[in-house]
Parts: sequence; structure tokens; C-alpha cells
Amino acid sequence: MSRYKLYFFNGRGRAEVSRLIFAIAGQKYEDIRYEGSEWPSYKAEMPLRQMPVLEFEGTKLPQSLSIARFLAKQFNLAGRDNFEQAKVDAVADTISDLLGKFIPPRFEKDKTKKQELMKKFFDEKVPKHLQNLDVLGKLYGNDGPFFVDNHLTWADLLFYDILETLLGIDENCLNNYPWLKQNRAEVEKQPRIAEYLKSRPKTPH
Amino acid sequence: MGSCDLKLYYFNLQARGELIRLILAAADRTYEDIRFDINQWSEYKPKMILGQCPVLELTDGTQIPQSMAIARYVARETGLAGINNLEAAKIDAVVDTQRDINETFYGKVFFEQDEIRKAEELEKFLNETLVKHVENLGKLKKAYSQNESYFVGNKLSWADLFVFQSIKALLKAIPQVKGKLGDQFKQLIDAIHSNEKLKAYLDSRPKTDF
Repeated sequence: MSRYKLYFFNGRGRAEVSRLIFAIAGQKYEDIRYEGSEWPSYKAEMPLRQMPVLEFEGTKLPQSLSIARFLAKQFNLAGRDNFEQAKVDAVADTISDLLGKFIPPRFEKDKTKKQELMKKFFDEKVPKHLQNLDVLGKLYGNDGPFFVDNHLTWADLLFYDILETLLGIDENCLNNYPWLKQNRAEVEKQPRIAEYLKSRPKTPH
Repeated sequence: MGSCDLKLYYFNLQARGELIRLILAAADRTYEDIRFDINQWSEYKPKMILGQCPVLELTDGTQIPQSMAIARYVARETGLAGINNLEAAKIDAVVDTQRDINETFYGKVFFEQDEIRKAEELEKFLNETLVKHVENLGKLKKAYSQNESYFVGNKLSWADLFVFQSIKALLKAIPQVKGKLGDQFKQLIDAIHSNEKLKAYLDSRPKTDF
């Protein structure tokens, strides 16, 4: 009976950052994945009828970033004091802004409109946010490869995860940002992360 | 810490700055509340770390962007972020839930230019989105609260201030919201208005368009 249960669809989506946190922390958890067709029968069990949800010692928590921040703090991946945590949050929020801009093109049903929105996203929004993240990494990173104070935090894992999706669409989008590229390479090198990436379920999203 | 070791840079508006100001007010924490008009922004923008605001600046000059990161930081510094990590997470969950609604409202209704689409989205927001949201906040309060007024545990947290501020801003933008809220937030709003430090701040803060 695990202390931690993570509920999500059978995909990376908004749950993957938390799975990366569990992986690097070496923490066992129940990785509950629902297929789209079975989700309606479980919906009423989730506080806000959405996922991901983390169940921790019987309490259910919704909201992917709150879950990630909680887990990161549990496993010392959130920053070593309040001020470091604020810098980590600032980076995470900037990444989240980028994700927010991705949602409309990602879920647009009209093919022509989708193409237009994606182009605009990659031409304009992506460079702006990557530039901002580059600024923060260099300012807070203390000359190391990680976003804050030269050690890996959940902000690095969140960046790794979101860019995996974006690079899947435009493999060149990080070409102008060597620091950011190196940051992802450092995350990938971590033994527990490398192991997890090899062994996790392969899903389209 | 000295009296002006914290500086908050933002427009002379509530918008994305007000939550931070409310947290600092509830904690009776002094800070420099730097406010500028839109026509002064070109002066300040280059000094802000990402060319955006709000920004929190500490005595040593370090700047933190991102309104929620700032809010969470000052809440933790002032004891308004829960008594342990799990309470902090519950508070975050309430905040994020309210944020989703704010983003839906401002994104789909408030800033919509097309009049017909705006009216459609407003209708949907009032009759579906907002109703569901009020229910959701009720569920979270039931699961996390140990008292009548506040969302988490036994005392005021920044989640209460964020929901309070968001509801107030929503009521100002679309007064017809009032009928949809029922009594859900009455105890919270009363508790905040009877908090001495918050009452003093609310009575004296500059009146702005939003």
C-alpha cells in the first residue's frame, strides 16, 4: 500500500513532471493510468473531476504544478530555502506561461487554423519564453547547468518535460539556446532519469 | 530586516499586483510599494529582469518575476502559506483552481473583442463555468478546512486572499456575478473585512480601474 498514488491518463501530459520527480527521488508510488474510455467511471472520485491527482496518505490533491511542487519539497528538489524556492517557482511559472501559449494550437481542431497557430507559436512565443528562461538560468544558476543555484530542482525537470513535447514538433527550437540545451542534457544524464526514460511506457503525448 | 528591504514594482493597478500587496498587508510587513502609470513603463521596463512586472526586489538587488512566485514567497516569509508542506500544497491547489477560472474569464470573456462572441462566452461563463467553479471551491474547502471561514486548516492563508481578490475583481467587472455566488464566500469575505490589518489596507488603498 503506497503512501503516494498518482492518477492520470495513460500518457505524459500534465503528470509527467511528477513522474520525473518520483524517478529521480527513487520514490516508489502507484502510477495509476486510466484509458480515455474508462475515465468517465472514475471522474466522480476526483475532487475537481480532473486529473492529475495525487493521493497522499489518503488526501487527494488536484492541480499538476501544486502536486509537483509538493513532491519536490518532500524530496528536497524544490530549493534549499524560501528564497531559492521562489527562484525555482519563477522559472516554473515562466515555463508554465510557455505551456499556456501552446494549448490553443495543440488542441485546435481545424487543420488550417492549427497550422497557423502552431507557426505563430514557434515563430514568436517560443523564442520569447526561451529567451526569458535563458536569462533566468544565467542569473540564478550560479554558473552551473541547472536553473537555480547549481543543483537540480523540479524547474529543470519541468523544462525537460515541456521541451520534450515541443522538440517533438520542431526539433530545432532550442538551436539558438546552448545553455538551455545543455540544461536538458544534464537532466538526461542523471542515472535515475536515464533509467526512467528508458523504461517508462511509450505514449504519443 | 530593515523597513525598505522589499520593493514591489507594479503598475498603479490591482490586477496581478494586488495579491502580493494583500499578503504583505495581512502580515503588517513594510515594503516599498512602487507604482507607475502606463506612460512611465518604458522607464521601468529595462530595469525589470524579464521586462515584465510585477517584480519583487530584495536589498541585494535580486529580482523575482512572476506574480504567483512572488506571492508564494512572501506568504511563506510571513506565515500565510500553511503550517507544513501538505497544507502548503492544499493552499496551492486552491490557488491554482482559482487561477484556472481567472484565466478563463480574462482570456475568453474580458479581453474578447468580438461583441457577439463575448456575449456568448459571458453567458457560458456565468451559467456553466462559474457555477462549477463555486462547487469546486466548496469541495476543496470541505476537504481541507478545519474552520468556518478559511480554505485550509485553521487560519488565514494566501489562498483566502487570492480567492477574495479574484471574486472582488470579478464582481467589479461583471456585477451580475453576484447572483451566482450564493453564500459560498460570505464567511470568507466577512472574515477578511474584520481582519484589522486587512481592513486598514482595504480602506486606504488607491482606487484604480482594475
